[in-house]
Amino acid sequence: MDQKSIRNFCIIAHIDHGKSTLADRLIELTGTLRKDKIIQQVMDSMDLERERGITIKAKAVRLGYHSGAGELFRLNLIDTPGHVDFSYEVSRTLVACEGAVLVIDATQGIQAQTLANIYIAMEHNLEVIPVINKIDLPGSEPEHVMKEIETVLGYKSSEVLLISAKTGQGVSELIEAIVNRVPPPAGRSDLPLRALIFDSHYDDYKGVIAYIRVVDGVMETGAKLRLMGQGTHLEVLELGYFAPGPTPEDRLEAGEVGYIATGLKSVKECRVGDTITLASGGARQPLIGYELPKPMVFAGIYPTQADEYADLREAIEKLNLNDASLTFEPESSPILGQGFRCGFLGLLHLDIVVERLEREFGLSLVVTVPGVKFMVTKTNGERLAVTSPVDFPEPTEIQKTEEPWVGISIITPSGFIGALMDVMQEYEGAYKHTEYLGQITVMGEESQRVRLEYEMPLRSMLTTFYDSLKSRSRGYASLDHEFLGYREARLVKLDVMVNELKVDAFSRIIPPEKAHDTGKSVVSKLKEVIPRQLFKVPIQAAVGSRIVAREDISARRKDVLAKCYGGDITRKRKLLEKQKEGKKKMKMIGRVEVPKEAFLEIMKLG
Amino acid sequence: MRESIGLYLHFPFCRRRCYYCSFVSTENREQDIPVYLECLKREISNHSGRFHLKSIYFGGGTPSLMTAGQFAELFDCIGQAFTIDKQAEITVEMNPGMLTSGYMEDLRNCGVNRLSIGVQSLNDDELGLLGRLHTASEALAAFRTACRSGFDNINMDLIYGLPGQGIETWEKTLNLAASLGPRHLSLYCLSLEATAILAGQIEAGILPPLDPDMAAGQYELAEAMLDGYGYRHYEISNWAKPGYECRHNLSCWLMEPYLGLGVAASSYLEKHRRTNVACLDEYIYLVCSGAAMLIETDEETGCDLQLAEAVILALRLENGADIARFNREYGIDLLKHYSCQISELVDLGLLSRKENSLSLTPKGRLLGNEVFWRFLPEQPS
Repeated sequence: MDQKSIRNFCIIAHIDHGKSTLADRLIELTGTLRKDKIIQQVMDSMDLERERGITIKAKAVRLGYHSGAGELFRLNLIDTPGHVDFSYEVSRTLVACEGAVLVIDATQGIQAQTLANIYIAMEHNLEVIPVINKIDLPGSEPEHVMKEIETVLGYKSSEVLLISAKTGQGVSELIEAIVNRVPPPAGRSDLPLRALIFDSHYDDYKGVIAYIRVVDGVMETGAKLRLMGQGTHLEVLELGYFAPGPTPEDRLEAGEVGYIATGLKSVKECRVGDTITLASGGARQPLIGYELPKPMVFAGIYPTQADEYADLREAIEKLNLNDASLTFEPESSPILGQGFRCGFLGLLHLDIVVERLEREFGLSLVVTVPGVKFMVTKTNGERLAVTSPVDFPEPTEIQKTEEPWVGISIITPSGFIGALMDVMQEYEGAYKHTEYLGQITVMGEESQRVRLEYEMPLRSMLTTFYDSLKSRSRGYASLDHEFLGYREARLVKLDVMVNELKVDAFSRIIPPEKAHDTGKSVVSKLKEVIPRQLFKVPIQAAVGSRIVAREDISARRKDVLAKCYGGDITRKRKLLEKQKEGKKKMKMIGRVEVPKEAFLEIMKLG
Repeated sequence: MRESIGLYLHFPFCRRRCYYCSFVSTENREQDIPVYLECLKREISNHSGRFHLKSIYFGGGTPSLMTAGQFAELFDCIGQAFTIDKQAEITVEMNPGMLTSGYMEDLRNCGVNRLSIGVQSLNDDELGLLGRLHTASEALAAFRTACRSGFDNINMDLIYGLPGQGIETWEKTLNLAASLGPRHLSLYCLSLEATAILAGQIEAGILPPLDPDMAAGQYELAEAMLDGYGYRHYEISNWAKPGYECRHNLSCWLMEPYLGLGVAASSYLEKHRRTNVACLDEYIYLVCSGAAMLIETDEETGCDLQLAEAVILALRLENGADIARFNREYGIDLLKHYSCQISELVDLGLLSRKENSLSLTPKGRLLGNEVFWRFLPEQPS
């Protein structure tokens, strides 16, 4: 097909503004699938998945479309991950497109991630088509949202479309707008091959499947290729596009979007953002600066039972085949035994990984307090990257500590400004700027909306920050953040001792002025969650040798079945059996039995 | 040759359910007593000819709701079905408040030689809290009447660890009870299952929660005081003047066989632990329809389980587990067989290892469960 008839675009939206529903409607209205087939088709793919053990992700769907003017177009809709943890992936997806449909909820207006997404889109010179979605809902306020788009984003109301992805209202007009406003791809088929990898996954049969956008040249089955960033060599075993099921084809020309099966063993060898060219006679310049994913959040993951270590290793390795941004290295803790120090893109990524390990691999895990990567310069000049509190040097050995900071953008009805400023102060936020957006109705009242800009240490964000933000704004505030860089910090390690034994899993790095309060909340939480033992157990929090908080769990004095006569023996024995079973679920810290939940509770404290 | 056993008979009726109770007992069903006793007699007859009784124990519920005539009939029936040892210990549980000397004399004439009186407390406020239908002075009167009627071997049940109960009121109750000189005292720490009325009141915040530390203090006080009154602390919850230990219960703790009859009653015969159906109506229905089986659960205890139960039950006793007895009955050397558990528990100060026996320390008596579960066999997973 003529390059002029191709349109590559994505949909960007704040969470729950209707991205997936719109994608379904586009597939349906372009006739790629009949409405009644959408569910059916997905189901068929799933069956295939079960039969052949391959995972089919419709990350990029090819849609055929006859325009109002009778012309045939090929639309490639490319999916973007919806969460800020995956902003690197989002940016690489956008590079594969010439246009973006920006979806804004008619009941909620612009949210923090709407802005984050549009800035990336503008950075990459994408043609943005703003749409106000959910206009069928009774609470929708398209006029207000329209005004906000005009003032905040600077679009004219004539450029904005009103749609309901649910009912289909306005979606045909949107497709016309995509065809008319998004430019066709600009690459040249006669140049040496350059294709961008915007997603990849591992398939048991075909190895790594890479999702690609051919920018220049032609991609053909059997071609010998090279990744310009990583230097990986590979061969195209299969090539095709999604419609929405995988459809093999012989070649993909400049401007096209599709997939290649590589036979590679891990997505680590074929990372998102890299440029593919020919193994010999390839291009000189990659398409875009390629970066390794940078884990920002670190935590130790340990099996509850030491004998599950090998299973955990196998599970993490398997997950890593499909998730190149997960990093891990073996770590051993005097208390928790053998485990892994893992790096994640963010807290959500951590949650997803832990949940998958527990659910898909049936493991029971202990996860330590999540932290960031500190850069520590020691007094002897040595520079350390510290991702585990265990490795944090003694105060006297530290010359300088640096920690990552993030820029925070919060969009909120103005009524919550005061409360949110308090939250930001509590979490070490530094105020930068306020911007006034449009009006919106909040709980039946007209309300001004504002965008607050702050900067804060990422470390602070990993605690109960998000929950506080949500609860103090009654759920109205939306949040986005971006990495700013490393800044100097004054920090100390807070250690926690259970029965005189330092428990590395409970250690955390904090500003010295918070040592007392944090120490107190940690020791009281532990006192609450650790059951009384047969002896007195002191729980202490300390900075260096200075104890900042202490609680004692007094010894259990009484635990005996008062009555045990002829009629009771079986029942009483069952109670004892239950008690015995309960002991097995405990993690031993020295002689102290600590329930697994204690680790979770302490992690939640942040 | 008839097997020598203890016999337990369950009487599931009460005038009113106590607020701490979650036993099988039924209030407002007294009209069913005659039918129930008929059923019990049939169940007794089913076992006719098999046993020689060393002890008989009427428990409940409130067995003293039976008339003297009903007792006499029941004893006739028992006498026909079994032989009864001349020295047999025959106990009846009773509640204060409705006992006349005539009634007690009638019981004596039936052969009853031991009474267990549910005194629970000698403080009227506490009795109210527990939902008892008698006062402290009625309890004292019941004890005196029992003595006057010729009963020498009398037990008093007392409860401590009540919500909000301090050390002082417990001390008073205990002092008053011990000064009367009953041959036997059973002291129970209040423990509540979720279905008990008191549990609901604590849950609702009407009463303060149970305080295990206070209960531990009350227990230690009892140990010291009763020692001064000349009682031997022969089992975790039981004290007796020398020679007045409850023989029926002792035989349970020594893993000797017993037969339990009536609704929800348990038996231990031929290494089987069996329990009758717990529902009164179901029990009556089954007996009336001539069913051979009234049993709800039947568990054959394997060797390792028998051994575990034997150790756990023996450790409840002052004398503990007799090493020679275990060698004789189970063919094992306790000290070797459980060497890991024993050394851990000795280190924890819960167990004391003597030349011929193994027994709980005073601390171990308060933390018995921590000792007991360690002797259970591994569960097949």
